[in-house]
Amino acid sequence: MATYVARNGIGERQRRMEDFRFLTGHGTYIDDVNLENQAYAMVLRSPEAHADITSIDASEALALDGVLLVVTGEDWKAAGYGTIPTKSGVRNFKNGSDMKEPPHHAIAIDRVRYVGQPVALVVAESLDICRDALELIEVDYASLPAVTHQSEAIKDGAPQIWDIAPNNICLDFELGDEEAQKKAFAAADHIITLELVNNRVTAAPIEPRGAVADYDAATGKYTLWNASQNIHANRDIIADNVLKIGKENLHHIAPDVGGGFGGKNGVYQEPILILHAAGQLKRPVKWINDRAESFLSDTHGRDQVSSVQLALDADGTFRGLRTETVGNLGAFCGTVGPFTPTGGSSRTQGGPFKFDAIYYTAIAPFTNTCPLDPYRGAGRPEGSYQMDRIIDFAAAKLGMDPIELRRKNLIPAADLPMKSPMGLDIDCGNFPAVFEQTMQLSDREGYAKRKEATEAKGLKRGFGVCMYLECTGGGPKEEAKVVFRDDGKVELSVGTASTGMGHETVFAQLLAGHLGLPMEDIEFHQSDTDATSMGGGHGGSRGLEVGGSAVTQTSRQIIEVGRKIAAHRFDVDAAKVDFEEGRFHVPGTNHTMTIRDAIDAQNDPDNLPDDLEPGCMNITSVFERGIISIPNGGHACEVEVDPDTGTVKVDGYWVVDDFGTIVNPMLADGQVMGGIAQGIGQALMENIVYDESGQLVTGSLMDYALPRADDMPKMVIGYYEDAPTEKNILGVKGAGEAGCVGAPPAVVNAVCDALKEYGVHHIDMPLTPERVWRAIQDAKAES
Amino acid sequence: MYDFGIKSPGSVDDVKAALAEAEDGQFLAGGQTLIPVLKQRLAMPSDLISLGRVEALSGIQAGGDSISIKAMTTHATVAANNDVKSAIPALAKLAGGIGDPHVRNRGTIGGSVANNDPAADYPAAVLGLGATVITTEREIDADNFFTGMFDTSLKEGELITEIVFPIPESAGYIKFPNPATRYALVGVMVAKIGNTVRVAVTGAGPCVFRVAEMEQALTASFSPDSIKDGLVAADDLNNDIHASRDYRAHLIGVLARRAVAEACA
Amino acid sequence: MPAITVRVNGLEVTKEVDARTLLSTFIREQLKLTGTHVGCDTSQCGACVVTLNGKTVKSCAVFAWEADGADIGTIEGLSKDLPEGELHPMQAAFREHHGLQCGFCTPGMVMTAVQMVKNNPDIDEDGIKHGLEGNICRCTGYQNIIEAVKTGAKAMRG
Repeated sequence: MATYVARNGIGERQRRMEDFRFLTGHGTYIDDVNLENQAYAMVLRSPEAHADITSIDASEALALDGVLLVVTGEDWKAAGYGTIPTKSGVRNFKNGSDMKEPPHHAIAIDRVRYVGQPVALVVAESLDICRDALELIEVDYASLPAVTHQSEAIKDGAPQIWDIAPNNICLDFELGDEEAQKKAFAAADHIITLELVNNRVTAAPIEPRGAVADYDAATGKYTLWNASQNIHANRDIIADNVLKIGKENLHHIAPDVGGGFGGKNGVYQEPILILHAAGQLKRPVKWINDRAESFLSDTHGRDQVSSVQLALDADGTFRGLRTETVGNLGAFCGTVGPFTPTGGSSRTQGGPFKFDAIYYTAIAPFTNTCPLDPYRGAGRPEGSYQMDRIIDFAAAKLGMDPIELRRKNLIPAADLPMKSPMGLDIDCGNFPAVFEQTMQLSDREGYAKRKEATEAKGLKRGFGVCMYLECTGGGPKEEAKVVFRDDGKVELSVGTASTGMGHETVFAQLLAGHLGLPMEDIEFHQSDTDATSMGGGHGGSRGLEVGGSAVTQTSRQIIEVGRKIAAHRFDVDAAKVDFEEGRFHVPGTNHTMTIRDAIDAQNDPDNLPDDLEPGCMNITSVFERGIISIPNGGHACEVEVDPDTGTVKVDGYWVVDDFGTIVNPMLADGQVMGGIAQGIGQALMENIVYDESGQLVTGSLMDYALPRADDMPKMVIGYYEDAPTEKNILGVKGAGEAGCVGAPPAVVNAVCDALKEYGVHHIDMPLTPERVWRAIQDAKAES
Repeated sequence: MYDFGIKSPGSVDDVKAALAEAEDGQFLAGGQTLIPVLKQRLAMPSDLISLGRVEALSGIQAGGDSISIKAMTTHATVAANNDVKSAIPALAKLAGGIGDPHVRNRGTIGGSVANNDPAADYPAAVLGLGATVITTEREIDADNFFTGMFDTSLKEGELITEIVFPIPESAGYIKFPNPATRYALVGVMVAKIGNTVRVAVTGAGPCVFRVAEMEQALTASFSPDSIKDGLVAADDLNNDIHASRDYRAHLIGVLARRAVAEACA
Repeated sequence: MPAITVRVNGLEVTKEVDARTLLSTFIREQLKLTGTHVGCDTSQCGACVVTLNGKTVKSCAVFAWEADGADIGTIEGLSKDLPEGELHPMQAAFREHHGLQCGFCTPGMVMTAVQMVKNNPDIDEDGIKHGLEGNICRCTGYQNIIEAVKTGAKAMRG
């Protein structure tokens, strides 16, 4: 059998190819896309959370010099456009009946249901004219009662947002064996209950959303440049479901995208509105959200209220787990929104811990708030928070050591592979080893000294851990296409979407590594419906798992064709040709041929065996994973708390991740650190707040705090690399979301550890200074 | 932004003339507050009269018992100024903690004091250090300058030209920053000037204010322990998503003690 | 409409600007230097940071006409003759330490970092964190940015 060197390119800290253009100001983000003769669009957004639109008068706006078009719900009705469907993987109530999916139009028709919902689109010759025109549109609203909190929304008598959804319930859901859970609870010595809030947050990429639409009247085709993470799936929805123009008539492109984190994954209204406008005006139309609009209109994340119950024996052995959650959906079903609190949070319940039984149940109601959709982790951070908080809470209540409690209950390596009580296939890993590696990395021996130093300053120090287990998601298939150009360049096109993760580097690293070609020869393409026939975009930490596997698969197929070309030249059987470091070689002879020689030969039929056609090394392949992979790991964190002010400083952070094979450790580190920052943000400061009338209170970066450099601790990252998965070619488990899956519980656990002497055992996120201070005061008052 | 006319006079007299000509003119100092406000269409001046070219409005002069800072001096300049650092280190520290480096490179003491944002740092310095605000018309004691939320005793067309800070025996400023804006959620300036002590609080109420009870206690004994809890009632303090009035009231005590400790250090 | 003359990355330009034109808009739309980004409308994010007479400013909070006669530096002027030429030591340090992911905040970060180090060549970690207070990054968690600034500072010291 011929040899194949699989590790070429894998494990190297390859510096990024995209950095040159980003570092020098030569990236092309959506606001850098400008077309000849383009017009500008702005959206008139609803100031009401729930109201009937009794009239819209745009005549004054239309009379303004330079205004080209005003689009309202009436135009939308007249055009007969379709609704934006949800693609939630969970679609049925527990009893089997269909979920309640209300019609989601790109623009409000007759009624508005959240503040920020598009009510009209103005298109004009300049943005200043758009702003003037927005003020001239007269809309009369008849206010209706609004409900913003999910727990209120499901109560009898709550304002009804959709006639089809009694008590505002879109969907309910269960997973696991409730009878078995009840039996496990009955047999256990203790049942500990904790009510938790997983706070509502927003992805807040620094680049706001935006798009540019163009229409070619000669061909009837549309082109949409869009700051999107998911152009193929969104094209299908926009073209087929909504505009009904046929997906072949919409060329969808994402330029460089300035961060996404899930927030640029779903189908949004504004790109659809400007496609309509471009078609009407027969000229390009550009729209860019400002930051205030981003807060109002970018889908939000998390927002679950849960009750978690842990049943355990007197010796600390876990028996059963029950989680009941209510997950806010906002006013409409997001593109996959209803999946998050249902399927998304359910599958990883129990984490890496052994249970006799687990039962999970969820209710997903509508509220008069911006729709929710996946945000980095999409349900798994909520699950991880539930699991790792109840462990520390139970330990505190029962006088146990939370570290020992985890150590005792981790699933032993020998039990793998296994199916979890949630039906999750956990194929490989070694949770106890990851745990011990985490403890070792976090310098437990030095803790006493650090604590002493903290207390000398009049502060409290705490230590917290989280042993998370999550799973990848997103589309199971990915395409990788390689074309060898005559000028020597190698075009690599993949259907994933990098919004900063570094696919341009890591995929090229894989291709270059496999083929033995220089990185510089590779030209990367992504996020263009003309570049790849299909693509799953980005979401669910799938980039390397599915896209990297597709690149590897295509590379292998190229090598096999090259091997045949080499065999043909040397007149030997292909099985006799080795390939190593870019060279085909027939062992025992001086016959060698570089991959470049094979590429150069591929276009001349004389160089090819009968079964190959010219261009045969230009290969496109689609990789499909069987089942999702199971990233897991340990987070450990130390905090300093100022009891006089309640201020929390994260003062040390250690992580050990099992991501299977690490292809580029530098990029993996970057994903973990960025995820931790977002997790610390959620734990300590980030919070989307609506008031009871449905007004967004945190509508700018002056009210919604994002972590800054001085909020971050030093992070130390390690990997457990002895458990590559066999679920994909590379053995990778997905790294993109894990950081913010593990960080919130680790931080909150550390704060509660610091405050245990006061009797504080739980504080709901975000742990703002005031909440922490208040918890201390309340505990003092109680004792 | 609504449209407006612009003027860039080169002298204080020309500034006055430009304002007189304008229908509804507005001074533009560093612009770090005004420009975002204009962007949001929350203000509609007919003309912006930029003070950026009036050289006479910039600079710091140290005297024997006071430091004079001209209105258009940036926060960064104040923070880095050696005279300020040695004479009133708490003032240099305060200036160096406003906003962020880029804001400090543009924002000016005159603009900040004239705007009197309830969460701005400079009003605490002016009131806490007992400074005198000098305008094109007169001299105004700090105690008579800040009159309410975004309100001062400046009259229509009156321009701050400089602010004169007496050099205290010692002073301390502690700010508890809003995590989003880095404005003061609460900020406390404590200064010992001769036999008197002044305590000024920003961020906590609708307008910067002094705390007489703390001043009396500190005059008797200038030590952190002199400040007891509950000296400031929560009733009239700000209550918003960033902090409740109770918490702000509590923070005033904590920060005042720390400011005294800093002043004593 | 006033005409302004500025030196941008060493080259003098004269253009007419509207009173409402922000420096960021002038740079991006009139000079076509799109490396300067706009990430917010309340002057918090720092993606638009450029230098104005050698000081970092948020170009979204300065009017173009206020800059008349000034020296302006943008990210495009930091390194010469790219793509083939060399990165500025600070840019190289950001690449070396993976101090950027999506790249959107990066121009503002790099401009801030270069100026911070020019002002204080021996800046320490706390100083760097304080100096980055006006720049928000949502991707990196800042650690690699801080490492990059340390390395960039060392290289700039020579």
